[in-house]
Amino acid sequence: MSLIKIIPLQFAAIDELEKMLALLSERFKMEAVINTPHFDLTPYFNPVRSQYNANEIIQKLVPLTGERDKIVGITGLDLFIPVLSYIFGQAYLGGSVALVSGHRLENSRYGLSDDPLVFSRRLLKCVIHELGHSFGLKHCFKPGCVMVSTTYVEEMDQKTDRFCRKCNTELTQLRG
Amino acid sequence: MSENLSILIVDDELSVRDSLSNWFIEDGYSVDTAEDAKVALKKIEAFAFHIILVDIKLPGMDGLELNRRIKSINEDTIVIIMTAFASVDSAVQALKDGAYDFVCKPFDPDTVTHIIRNASKTIQLSKENSSLQDRIKSLVNIEDIIGQSDGIVEVLEQVRVVAQTDSTVIIHGDSGTGKELIAKAIHMNSVRRFFPMVTVHCGAIAENLMESELFGHERGAFTGAQYARKGKFEMADGATLFLDEISTISMKMQIELLRVLESKRFTRVGGNRELKSDFRVICATNRDLQSMVSSGEFREDLFYRLNVFAINIPPLRERVEDILLLAQHFVKLYAEQMNKGTKYIGKRATKALMNYAFPGNVRELENLIERAVVIGEGDTVQLKDLPFSQILSKPTWESIQEMEHHHVEAILEKYDWNISKTAKALGVDRVTLYSKIKKYKLEKSK
Repeated sequence: MSLIKIIPLQFAAIDELEKMLALLSERFKMEAVINTPHFDLTPYFNPVRSQYNANEIIQKLVPLTGERDKIVGITGLDLFIPVLSYIFGQAYLGGSVALVSGHRLENSRYGLSDDPLVFSRRLLKCVIHELGHSFGLKHCFKPGCVMVSTTYVEEMDQKTDRFCRKCNTELTQLRG
Repeated sequence: MSENLSILIVDDELSVRDSLSNWFIEDGYSVDTAEDAKVALKKIEAFAFHIILVDIKLPGMDGLELNRRIKSINEDTIVIIMTAFASVDSAVQALKDGAYDFVCKPFDPDTVTHIIRNASKTIQLSKENSSLQDRIKSLVNIEDIIGQSDGIVEVLEQVRVVAQTDSTVIIHGDSGTGKELIAKAIHMNSVRRFFPMVTVHCGAIAENLMESELFGHERGAFTGAQYARKGKFEMADGATLFLDEISTISMKMQIELLRVLESKRFTRVGGNRELKSDFRVICATNRDLQSMVSSGEFREDLFYRLNVFAINIPPLRERVEDILLLAQHFVKLYAEQMNKGTKYIGKRATKALMNYAFPGNVRELENLIERAVVIGEGDTVQLKDLPFSQILSKPTWESIQEMEHHHVEAILEKYDWNISKTAKALGVDRVTLYSKIKKYKLEKSK
């Protein structure tokens, strides 16, 4: 049976991940579980940028996937890919691994008081969005759809955690 | 939009190429990569990318030189220069050489998203612009109006002359001669061509509606005027107002029209605000306005206001040499539209067309050819495809010999040049038929 495996990577708020399991199972029609393998992120730290290289982490997570499984690594660390200054998450279209960072999703990063509910919503949207990519969905232009590309948290707050009708149909087809 | 756009990423770092490709693929773009300028140029020569992201530091040829090469291949390609080492000089140089933008690596996701979206909009606008320009050019090009007769050549020369001016034009011509086409040609070759030609078919509008049609009306101006509405004068601001069948307007409306033509000022029905509109007037009529003036049916002052530059389109019967050209044009047009293989007009069909008087002028010819293309088979319009059995004017030949010539030819065509069947139908032997064919120099039509 294929699974969505959530892997916390230096991510303390495990309860946040447990809360999203049922919803992920419902959205992707696959069972979602939390896995906690030992995974050292130190080799992927870039001292010049003080960030972690998302592409390299993803490469190292690939062997952990079973056939038809999807892995979502969730970290509290700041991620980058070589050409961009930061990312909220990363996944390859139709790939097996997605990576999400909660580092820039907290209000305190933007001089506001923290709001756990807002953080949970943002994290959930990021996870669904990157998982959507790993199932083969591209960015969507329908306002509100979780697959809309967002580069600021304000934009992320404007979209929902749901797929629009078109993306939902496409996801069903892609899942076969 | 993004699915139709292609992006080439030129960077010597594999991680940059991979990261960017993945980023753009998620956005729905079609993406290719190149590790240096040489590979990039090969790909650019083989495929016209819409957007090319070029790293300024490349092994061999640098990004600035590559940008110049790309521009020499296709100056419409959007080039975005990327660099890890911000330098104002190189940025300025790249922009001077035609680069669209310049970004420093690593860039914020938002920066690259916005640059690419703006570039997409630029490409879209540029495509729309060029397609609109093509459409405008193709609307009515004077050279594209069919006809070689002296009459039509003179008309086209007049169109050329008057199009450049802002003078009022009156077009005379029988019904179906193409008065509206000539009006469009004048408009489309004038400085007002980027505005619409507003047409008023005066004969088709009831007299009680004419006033609000031309002047517009305010809300509540009359029963049923639930909303304020612009009239044709207002809609033609900056453009051309084409008044077709001008002879049909009432005397009352003639007075109103004269006043507006002189002042270019008017008031909407039920309104009190005076409006101004800058329009050029072209009008058309199939009646002799001069004689209507004499008989008191048309105001003399309005006639002189309209009769600044007159163009007379000769009827088709007076320019027989244009019939075949027009017929061939319509065959091509309708065969393409109907996806049929009709290409030619048969000899007898040609002769029949040339002998017909076309009281309905070009419009009649067009309808006739359209019908022939619909019902015809094969690649040639035949006489049987034309509805001449009902409408063809009487034969023009007088001598028995001429009659024999046409009769033999007709029966040959009827039996598709089967000599035995034709000879039998004519009641002559095959040798006699051959001698008739030779005598009248008959040939099987294409």
